[in-house]
Amino acid sequence: MTDTAKPDRDEAQRLRYYSASQWTLIWWRFRRHRAAMVAATILGIMALMGVFAEVVAPYGPTSRNASYLDGPPQLPMFCDRQGCSIRPFVHGIKTERDPITLRAISVPDPETRVYVSFLARGEQVRLFGVIPTDIHLFGLDHDKARLHLWGTDDLGRDVFSRTIYATRTSLSIGVMGVLISFVLALIIGGTAGYAGGRVDGGIQRVTEVVRVVPIIPLYMGLAAAMPPEWSTTQVYFAMTLILGLFGWPTLARRIRSQLLSIRNEDYVVAARLAGARPSRIIGQHMLPSFTSFIIVDLVISFPYMILSETALSFVGLGLRPPSVSWGVMLQQAQSVRVIEQTPWLFIPAGFVVVAVLAFTVIGDGLRDAADPYSEAR
Amino acid sequence: MGDLLTVENLTISFRTDEGLITPVQDVSFSVQKGRTLGLVGESGSGKSVSTKAVMRLLPGSAVIAPDTRMHYTAKDGQRVEVEKLDPRSRAIRRLRGGEIGMIFQEPMASFSPVYTIGNQMIEAIRLHREPNKRQAREIAIAMLERVGLSDPATRIDQYPHEMSGGMRQRAMIALALSAGPALLIADEPTTALDVTIQAQVLDLMRELQRDLGMGMIFITHDLGVIAQIAQDVAVMYLGTIVERGPTAEVIRDPKHPYTQGLLAAIPSLDRLNARMTPVPGDIPSPTERPTGCPFHTRCVHAIAGLCSARTPREIAPEPGRAVRCWLHDEAGRSAA
Amino acid sequence: MLRFTAERFVGMIVTMLLVSLMVFIIMELPPGDYADRYAFRKYSGTGVSVTEADIQAIRVELGLDKPMLLRYFDWIGNIVLHGDFGQAFAFETSVTKVIGDKALLTTAILFGTLIITYLVSIPIGIYAAVKRASFADYGLTTFSYLGLALPNFLLALILLYFANRWFNADIGGLFSAEMKDAPWSLAKAGDLIAHLWLPAIVLAWSAVAYQLQTVRATMSDELNKLSVTAARARGVPETKLLIKYPARLAINPVVSTIGFDVNRIFSELPIVAVVLGLTELGELLLRAYLDLDMYVAGAILLLLTFMIVFMNFISDILLAWLDPRIKLGG
Repeated sequence: MTDTAKPDRDEAQRLRYYSASQWTLIWWRFRRHRAAMVAATILGIMALMGVFAEVVAPYGPTSRNASYLDGPPQLPMFCDRQGCSIRPFVHGIKTERDPITLRAISVPDPETRVYVSFLARGEQVRLFGVIPTDIHLFGLDHDKARLHLWGTDDLGRDVFSRTIYATRTSLSIGVMGVLISFVLALIIGGTAGYAGGRVDGGIQRVTEVVRVVPIIPLYMGLAAAMPPEWSTTQVYFAMTLILGLFGWPTLARRIRSQLLSIRNEDYVVAARLAGARPSRIIGQHMLPSFTSFIIVDLVISFPYMILSETALSFVGLGLRPPSVSWGVMLQQAQSVRVIEQTPWLFIPAGFVVVAVLAFTVIGDGLRDAADPYSEAR
Repeated sequence: MGDLLTVENLTISFRTDEGLITPVQDVSFSVQKGRTLGLVGESGSGKSVSTKAVMRLLPGSAVIAPDTRMHYTAKDGQRVEVEKLDPRSRAIRRLRGGEIGMIFQEPMASFSPVYTIGNQMIEAIRLHREPNKRQAREIAIAMLERVGLSDPATRIDQYPHEMSGGMRQRAMIALALSAGPALLIADEPTTALDVTIQAQVLDLMRELQRDLGMGMIFITHDLGVIAQIAQDVAVMYLGTIVERGPTAEVIRDPKHPYTQGLLAAIPSLDRLNARMTPVPGDIPSPTERPTGCPFHTRCVHAIAGLCSARTPREIAPEPGRAVRCWLHDEAGRSAA
Repeated sequence: MLRFTAERFVGMIVTMLLVSLMVFIIMELPPGDYADRYAFRKYSGTGVSVTEADIQAIRVELGLDKPMLLRYFDWIGNIVLHGDFGQAFAFETSVTKVIGDKALLTTAILFGTLIITYLVSIPIGIYAAVKRASFADYGLTTFSYLGLALPNFLLALILLYFANRWFNADIGGLFSAEMKDAPWSLAKAGDLIAHLWLPAIVLAWSAVAYQLQTVRATMSDELNKLSVTAARARGVPETKLLIKYPARLAINPVVSTIGFDVNRIFSELPIVAVVLGLTELGELLLRAYLDLDMYVAGAILLLLTFMIVFMNFISDILLAWLDPRIKLGG
């Protein structure tokens, strides 16, 4: 007999808690991590933009606007000297001569208005490369005028559209790289951890060697070996392979040490005595006990992939134009002069920072959520 | 007989995410010079927290209630009001180590692994007794010999991991005593040891306490150990002292149902065939402290409607003894 | 201790051998062989038409017709026995000459970066752990998140930009224009140090962010250890207590990851070098890769990695000296 005066509702909740599965628990704890939820939302939006790049971007990644080179961002507005309107608009562009250099430059013409419309018709594109459509998320009413939300580069290409396409490339390279290194880590770490002994010793040596070589110079060496005549698609897949090929050591070590520590648990020995194949023992009995840790490690390894790709493309050893990734775009922003004259070319760098931050914060949130002892707090 | 340490109405609360929890409530006890007070209770009953409060070693989230009084009489006869000291002050540092020594349950964890035993002993001696380095070393060696370590001149330069568990516990005792405290607080010093070594360490502590004339607070969850070492005993349950008095009398005639339960749970030779009868149920968590008498949820004699509603006061059933239980407080019961 | 050192030393040599094999494989990766590229470089623009026989002659001359394993032993043998790293095609001189004192500059940058990293991360990490959950703590955590997310070349550009605006100075490069080709002197060394701080800060940035988190985490753990409470219960004054007990142990993980930091710094070096116009190994490595001058690239990759392996060795020895528990384990 206790006099706990707690209402039944609490009791029901407690029952739900005790009977929840491991994954449900992790999800509940993760949901409480506000920063991680915000990061996950931002990343989700980025991923969606990348997936539907053809529709979100008003123009193609290589489509040029010869009358607006190195043009500054155009911000849609509602009011100007002529009054206000309900629909957002931008001013038209006119060409003038620079009074000093006498170069032709493009300046906004406050006399003309071009209205922004949503779900506008524009360039003919193929969504996912298959579905033909000419609907874009937004565009300008006027056929000839173009809306450059984030300005243009020296060839008159729309920075906003290119950034959207770059998001697709950079994130997908990250995903592919992580997946490849995950498979490699699973095979290498799994073998070492399951076999133990001399096999483990040998694999540890190799892992040590791979870990000790500085990673970006190593990637560079492999990227430099890509034949110049390769197509952009070939280069793209080679890049994912390169990133994946040397991204595995950290994860492999984690898998190995976890496997080693549970190798002699009773349930593993029982499975072995029952004659199960090694791959089945690892996959069915051993891995599930630390899947959550693997997921955390996978999420945390994304930033390295993204930063590596950006760095390699930045110095011209990664993806090559006409491919467009964050790193490729930043190739145009290698000098201080760019900060002074065309700072909007740095917008892709903001994407890199936000994506890396988001992955790191989500990783931290997941780690807290996956740790059963964090509940004690 | 002078009181070395008097604690009155000690109440400690912690600020946590779930709100304020109070693991120690209204605890009073005293230790005399040259005598040992045994503090008994299950884990989580607030024994360690209470003694840490005396040393002002509680973390920043702990609050000591304003009506708490903790008076300590120093070696020079000065009275120190411990509850008024700033936990970072010089005065409390003089108390720590120099006046009150402390021994912990895990000797391995209470030494820093990267310094030798001697380094840590000499540091304490130089802080409180003897600033000269060479003489401090002499004192340390003598103290190691005193606790029964063979070859103390070599041992002093060893690291904690180079010693066995029993040796480490002896070294820990030497470390606590090296600064010459008048009161020793021993927090479960024998729990982590093998039974045979446990007996040796108990003998050693009893001997040291007698020879050095120290007062001692001996914390344990084992009433059997108390019988061997303590003249006085205080039984704690969920942060309050439910019964206290001279050990011999409390064991012969326990008044509180909890003390009776603890005694019945000690294996004994004359009751080999009888089943041991542990106290039924589990100790509630400090966040779910029962109202009224904290023990009523597990008490077989609980009086319906009274014990669950009102907290019993401390009364003296006999001179020199005290108990908190409605069963023994007829006057209070009829007043209720 | 002697045995421990010897063991680690042998381990270091074995790792270096394996690394050299891997580097050699990377050198062999680019399509076509050296003879083609060599011939192309040598005769391009001269109007001489190169025949297959000419290339074959070059191939024999350079020893490229031998099997790969044999060429590996030739290569590594020449490095170990004669300090000869082979020919730099693009520069038409030996690799050793091309690398020359760039290795020295790289070492200067490395140690400048390491010093900044530890001077900043250790005290601040300890401070953050002691003031846990305070405003300063959250601020530092946020900073270290940013430190890990901001690509270093971007940071380099930002710093360059502000240096240009505020000091109106061109602080790129490692030397001022008049010192660049001067022989080594005290003045030149001073000039180097005056230019070193910018690349050192850029390279230290992410290392600081990383170590800050490590120090803070270990220090928080150590602060809660019983040994700290026990020392406090002996009356050790608070500041001395923090330094002698938890802080002393919080340094161990930093020491054990020195090699990791060197790795991270060298990894970022080529990119930062491009932006800051540094004339050291990282920049040369990138140029060699772009030119497919693989003997130069291989030599640099090997040197950088050897330096990392050597620093790993140093960190092992240091750690054993710092933590008496390690020696016994062997």
